[in-house]
Amino acid sequence: MNITRTYMVLALILVFFILTGCSTTVPVTAKFPEPPKYSMQPCPQLLKLKEDAKLSDVAGNVILNYSSYYECAVKNDAWIEWYQVQKRIFESVK
Amino acid sequence: MWILKWLPDWIFYVTLLAGVIGYLATYLIKYIPVPFVYMYKTPIQLGSIAAIVIGTFMTGAIYDNNAWLDRVHEMEAKVAKAEQESKEANTKIDNKTQEVKTKIVEKQVLIKQYVDREVTKYDNQCIIPKEFIKALNDAAEAPK
Repeated sequence: MNITRTYMVLALILVFFILTGCSTTVPVTAKFPEPPKYSMQPCPQLLKLKEDAKLSDVAGNVILNYSSYYECAVKNDAWIEWYQVQKRIFESVK
Repeated sequence: MWILKWLPDWIFYVTLLAGVIGYLATYLIKYIPVPFVYMYKTPIQLGSIAAIVIGTFMTGAIYDNNAWLDRVHEMEAKVAKAEQESKEANTKIDNKTQEVKTKIVEKQVLIKQYVDREVTKYDNQCIIPKEFIKALNDAAEAPK
């Protein structure tokens, strides 16, 4: 009886010390990088002409739409650059 | 390792040291002229061996734990540096984008002024067909 009890106590001590190996993880969390400020707005719709549009209205419409395209292209380029930079930074953290 | 959060490291060093001293002491017990002490030789030896085992194990665990903590601190420093770099990169991208957008607007204003000054002269001479307007508006329509 005493031997059984001794073995049980020893087993408990052993389990206790085996459990000391259970590690509590220390998470190192990195925040997701912020997006570029001016690239979060969606690209605007292209402008349309009125039924009675004149030649200057057509030209004005083309100018505004071209500008919209270039503004949108700038945002897209910013996203590409942002991705490349963030990827490089992310990969440097190892 | 959770046990190291509750107990200070020195306890395990002391356990190891006590185990070693206790075990060595059992060989010196015979020189102590007290029979009572000699009676406890075997339990003291067993206890000392247990203390040496626990002390050795925990000393290794402390070393391992400290090595991991060092790595965590190193990673935290790297992450903080990366976050700072990320912010700086964003500022650069934002400034560049804003600069290009300003240029686009300036160019748009200049061309609009040119249209208002030069193209409007031909407004009465040129009739825009409805089919042309329809084609242009259809092209401007986003695909659904």
